[in-house]
Amino acid sequence: MRVLLVEDEAPLRETLAARLKREGYAVDCASDGDEGLYLGREMPFDVAVIDLGLPKRPGMELVKALRDDGQRYPILILTARSSWQDKVEGLKAGADDYLVKPFHVEELLARLNALVRRATGWTKPILECGPVQLDTTAQSITVDSKPVDLTSYEYKVLEYLMLHAGELVSKADLTEHIYQQDFDRDSNVLEVFIGRLRRKLDPDGLLKPIETVRGRGYRFAIPRSDVTAD
Amino acid sequence: MAQRRPLSLQARSTVAAGLALAAFLGVTGFALDQAYYEATVAAMRDRLQSYVYAYLAGSDVLRGTKLLPPETLPDPEFNRPGSGLYAVVIGESNSLRWESPSALGRELAFDARLPVGEIRFEGPIDNAVGRVFVFSQGVSWEVDERRPVRLTVHVAQSEQQFLSQITAYRRTLARWLGALAIVLLLLQIALLRWGLSPLRKMVRDVDNVMNGDADRLPGQYPAELAPLTGSLNELIDFGREQLDRYRNTMSDLAHSLKTPLAVLRSEIDGDAGYHSLRRSVSEQSQRMHDIVSYQLSRATASRHQVFSTPLAIETAAEGIVASLEKVYAAKRVLCEFEIDSDARFFGAQGDLMELLGNLLENAFKWADRRVLFTAHVIKAPRMRRAGLELRVEDDGPGIPAEKVEHLLQRGVRGDERVQGHGIGLAIVQDIVKGYRGNLSVHGSDALGGAMFCVRFEAM
Repeated sequence: MRVLLVEDEAPLRETLAARLKREGYAVDCASDGDEGLYLGREMPFDVAVIDLGLPKRPGMELVKALRDDGQRYPILILTARSSWQDKVEGLKAGADDYLVKPFHVEELLARLNALVRRATGWTKPILECGPVQLDTTAQSITVDSKPVDLTSYEYKVLEYLMLHAGELVSKADLTEHIYQQDFDRDSNVLEVFIGRLRRKLDPDGLLKPIETVRGRGYRFAIPRSDVTAD
Repeated sequence: MAQRRPLSLQARSTVAAGLALAAFLGVTGFALDQAYYEATVAAMRDRLQSYVYAYLAGSDVLRGTKLLPPETLPDPEFNRPGSGLYAVVIGESNSLRWESPSALGRELAFDARLPVGEIRFEGPIDNAVGRVFVFSQGVSWEVDERRPVRLTVHVAQSEQQFLSQITAYRRTLARWLGALAIVLLLLQIALLRWGLSPLRKMVRDVDNVMNGDADRLPGQYPAELAPLTGSLNELIDFGREQLDRYRNTMSDLAHSLKTPLAVLRSEIDGDAGYHSLRRSVSEQSQRMHDIVSYQLSRATASRHQVFSTPLAIETAAEGIVASLEKVYAAKRVLCEFEIDSDARFFGAQGDLMELLGNLLENAFKWADRRVLFTAHVIKAPRMRRAGLELRVEDDGPGIPAEKVEHLLQRGVRGDERVQGHGIGLAIVQDIVKGYRGNLSVHGSDALGGAMFCVRFEAM
């Protein structure tokens, strides 16, 4: 998941960025509203965390500008002001959730997780496609209720594919949403990950969970079991 | 540019009254002067005419060429040279011309010959002896049967005497009118001072309040000022309440922060290990955070306002529910409204938002699928403001009766609040109390969960 983090307070920004990276997010940081708007328009984010008190361009305006620009990814606003008037205004401007400072990082992670899931139409924290179950909170996988051991990059690729189950996901999409900017984007690496995932999820070759669409990308082929998904 | 201070009410009234008085007295003086002038001129005309008749009655004409004046003159002044009273009689030819002794050697240019029976009164006209009023009359004198003599009689009086009379009158008139003006102005000032004295009293009273000599504006004020002084008193009370509240908040904040600080200090002083210390710091910082949030929201909420505008409940509730539906999207809670169209909250926008926001968020948090928000107007005739009842119900687990009292205990402070319900309910309680309302918790008949009911009576 690629996350945009706009926060002007350097210590908080760095701590959060480090923690988010550890949790498997690809993080892009901005320290003011203008930089935030530039990044927010240029990169394909899955979610954004925006502080309301920003230099150059206030957070509320940044949220509005991103929405006016047509960016649809969920936005979580951070604010030191806890009044309902501020909350309502922020959500009206186009944000999807808010968190009042100071907050626990776990709380932020849970909210981001939920926002990303909701944006892709999943309502429950456990993504279920046939026998494959992915628990987004515990970051664990089971196939036919048997745990499968994945590396963190394998997990991230699978999570992204399952979030968009049934949809075509291009290699470019996958690399952009999963890797840091400076990461080696050799598509062979991705193919290696996909190959390993197939072997781990489907050692007998009966399930065929990941389809290769020649020249275009991949698709998670098992339909969602979550019937209420929209 | 410094703005000039506007004139005082007293000065304005005095200037206006002074100008009106000056105009009124000026016109009156002018009218009286004109009337007196005309009357004096008319009186002079009558007098001069009577002199003419007296001369005609007493005179005789000798052989048609010489005039014999009367034995006794109508006025002795006709005899004194240069007295200012002159008589001239002229005949048809230049041979007949008589002048009174007063006019001797003065070259009076009275040469006009009037037809018989014609009367002329002129003046003041310039003449060798100065400006004069002249009365002239043409007559036919029957000296013998065959030849009547035609004469013209001129009687003149110099302007001098007339002017001194007019001047004397004017002086008297000016004196009286002046005196009248002064009396009226003084009266006006006195009336104004009396009329404005309640305002001065008010200024003194406000000064006393500001100096701390008095708590509020005392006593009775005239009907026109009573609403103003009433509002001032409310404002003073409001300011004082506000100050007390800030003071209390500050002291609550300071005191409630002392407990977690004490815990931390004892941990530092003791020989607690790294993990114990870490847990302690985390717990106590959370506690301090809660205290600060609670006191902050308490301090910024404005509570009862002196001049509160009615706020539509529906608009505020819609904004909040739209937000909550976003935040709690995963729960797919359905929130229904039952709001009277004329339901209004009399107070600050921020207070209404906090009140509804905290109650509705609580309901969204605990609800399974449904939340019901009801706002009813409590009608009360003869009251200035209708009352309001707000109800927030959910279909969650509800609150056991024995916990309700614990939940609503009075004087909940930031460090004593009930766990699990956050500081939201404490804020709601504070706001409700500030507006002299009542908060109660029941079970919901409609949905089966909890029902929070806030009531503001009509007033």
